[in-house]
Amino acid sequence: MVRRRFEGGEGPKVALVAGIRGDTPEGVRVLYEVTKLLRQQETLQGRVDVYPCANPLASYSGHQRWPFFDVDLNRRFPGRAHGHPPDLVAHQLVQHIADADLVIEVRGAYRAFREICQAHVRAGNERAIELASHANVEVVWARTPDTMAPTTFAAQFDTVMVLEGGAGNRLSDGVSEEMSAGVMNVLAQLGVVDEQAVPVHWAAIHRPRVVTDDEVFRVRAELGGVFLPSVEAGAAVTRSEQLGTVVDPVHARVLQRVEAPVAGVVLALREQPSVHPGSLVARVVADS
Amino acid sequence: MVEDIYTIDVPFRGTYRLQRLRFGQGSPHLVVVGGLHGNELNSVYALNLLAGALRAQAPAGTVDLIPMANAFGIEEGRKLGPFDDQDLNRSFPGDPDGTAMQRVAHALLEASCGDVCVDLHSGSNLVREMPQVRLTAGGTESELALAMGLPLVWRRAERPGDGTQLVECWRAAGCRALRVTGGRGATLDKQVGAQIAVALRRLMGALGMSRPPAPAAVLADVTDEQMRALRCESGGFFVPEVSVGERVTAGHLLGRVVAPVGGATLEEVRAPVDGLVTTSRLYPMVHARELLLRIAVV
Repeated sequence: MVRRRFEGGEGPKVALVAGIRGDTPEGVRVLYEVTKLLRQQETLQGRVDVYPCANPLASYSGHQRWPFFDVDLNRRFPGRAHGHPPDLVAHQLVQHIADADLVIEVRGAYRAFREICQAHVRAGNERAIELASHANVEVVWARTPDTMAPTTFAAQFDTVMVLEGGAGNRLSDGVSEEMSAGVMNVLAQLGVVDEQAVPVHWAAIHRPRVVTDDEVFRVRAELGGVFLPSVEAGAAVTRSEQLGTVVDPVHARVLQRVEAPVAGVVLALREQPSVHPGSLVARVVADS
Repeated sequence: MVEDIYTIDVPFRGTYRLQRLRFGQGSPHLVVVGGLHGNELNSVYALNLLAGALRAQAPAGTVDLIPMANAFGIEEGRKLGPFDDQDLNRSFPGDPDGTAMQRVAHALLEASCGDVCVDLHSGSNLVREMPQVRLTAGGTESELALAMGLPLVWRRAERPGDGTQLVECWRAAGCRALRVTGGRGATLDKQVGAQIAVALRRLMGALGMSRPPAPAAVLADVTDEQMRALRCESGGFFVPEVSVGERVTAGHLLGRVVAPVGGATLEEVRAPVDGLVTTSRLYPMVHARELLLRIAVV
């Protein structure tokens, strides 16, 4: 695992991490762009550690899980000092990052989905919410951790944000530009880099909405079949508007009309079409 | 009697059924679940043996058997699945309005909270495990575990993420719960299956549900501190010199990691302590830091 360190005068310590799962090439590309921008900086106030790819074997094969051991690295934290390689890497990563003032994990979208650029932060952490508001995303989602959360990477740190966007396991036009500008803008807000280092003008940076779990609605398929979307991620929808249909392709029947539960914006939309009862097909952020 | 506890219609391939066999009635209530992981098949065999015994002699109380929790995974020989590549045993307590796997987990947990609950597993496809009971350290189940008479009882400290496993959710619901494992994944080991079936009958005996078979000795009753995991420093081709169940003394040659091409010895693996071999790597290609053997200090 490679770390690239950029440091200068006194200032905050920031860690940037991508590629914990092997099917998030967008995050790896964002840190490639950020590294190029940081390399151009002559002075820095503080320290930026870039971990461009935490799970290189999985990334190499394009699969979510660490090969051979067949584990999801993002369910192995905080890791074990005497475990197998994935646990060892999880442990080492946490040890190396432990003193960071801010941790930013950059991902793509979840593998079956297309998502608009968004930052996930822990509900109640005002500092993280404030910083994420500068990350050039459209939505900052202050989430309450679920039962799996303690074993994720992000759960190991206090001030942490997870940036998501694009589509699962591939690159999307414009997403890495948006997210790398967001990362640089957060570094500029912290005073680590100069404002001139941000590749887009401040006026062009998105001013996101901060939402809580109550405002994010999960839309699920209720029958097994093939989900055909009727809208795109990022679309504004009205209450009961059709988001898509679940069809039975073998008998050419429509099984379910999937509707927006509220008026709002489509935060994520399923691209991998095979669904089961309960499969998530969309997330909608309610209009405020 | 076979009944469907839960079904899901799946596109292209018919219906997933979560099936339960029920014997007897009243209390106490014993529930045994197998096949949460689709590559672990010794439990299917063990539960078929037990079902045969229960058909011949009904228990005093109720015995529920759920032998193929992950039926689609078993059909495909895959640990994960059948929905969205999720690990069923990391999906508890589940959610009736959640994903398909969370719905299965919820239905399974709802249908399986007996007085005593047992979750059956095998080793992974790569290793053979001595038939054993794994206990959460500090639980109230140790008496039951010892009564089963499997050669190993391992009292394990809780680990991150345990809360999403069936056994911990049973315990959270007030059931006494045990996890049993033995043999190798993707392999039917008849002897291990029979050992587990007899152990389950001893458990029934301890609960007063039937006349128990003869007791058997527990060879090792250990905590995490008394289990030594031996890992290789280098990758290579692992040739074991011992097998599961053997007693070894400190310094005993346990195996070698050799170069896959040419066979030159890269590493000798020797016992660090006197003990009992409880796990052995059978798939020989190993990567650095992989588990080769476990030794219980006895």
